[in-house]
Amino acid sequence: MSYDTSANYFWRMNGQKVQLYRYRKNSFLTPDVSGRINADDNELIYPDETISEGLRVEYNAFVKPFVDTDPNSLDTDSSETSWTNPSLTEVTSPEETSHINLNRMLSLACVCFVQSQNAAKEGNIQLKEYYMKEFYKKLADNESNKRKISIAFASPVSSVR
Amino acid sequence: MTVLELMERAGIRDTNLAISWIKDAIHYIESTQQENLKVRKLDITKNQREYDLPADLISINSISVLDTEDDSKYKKIRRISGEHYITEDKNP
Repeated sequence: MSYDTSANYFWRMNGQKVQLYRYRKNSFLTPDVSGRINADDNELIYPDETISEGLRVEYNAFVKPFVDTDPNSLDTDSSETSWTNPSLTEVTSPEETSHINLNRMLSLACVCFVQSQNAAKEGNIQLKEYYMKEFYKKLADNESNKRKISIAFASPVSSVR
Repeated sequence: MTVLELMERAGIRDTNLAISWIKDAIHYIESTQQENLKVRKLDITKNQREYDLPADLISINSISVLDTEDDSKYKKIRRISGEHYITEDKNP
């Protein structure tokens, strides 16, 4: 039975694999990697139990990069409480009519990226850098659109109005 | 935005090249932002430390292990780095 897993399990990457270790308290002293006796009596061991569906990996992935319908328009929009999003079908062999499955801001960022790659292809590195800067600027704008924060400042008493 | 609209805005005529660059752009976006998160679950096997990551992975957001003693919650675990004393563990 696994318990307190956030404190007892650790992971690290090894190529396309994840390595899982469990933390165990020892009652004896162990030499460290240099052969010195370590006063720390803890060690990492391989998982010592089988847990069905025990490992959960949350990751960023390609999810339908190209779709058949515009992902940024509602399918139906009859009232404030009644609307439906479009159902998107992935296009595995994208063509000119395929839609990019990104919001408007990220689609505009894609335009900048394509322009930068085209500039690089033509040997214009300065222009490439300019478009890449625009690309990252739009990514930042997209992130800040998700985090609208209002900051209020009290105006000083002596300020001219 | 369609591929054609993007090509017109960027002044590109080669469709295949444009699609390749769009894929690269999406890869960049997914590497730096959390746009499309996916979840996979694997069985943890006794004495086995290595587990395959999904082939469509671009970047890891979190790794969790099921806590069966605490109402079966998945709890986020920490990443370690550096050298370890254990090289192989046949009887954990």
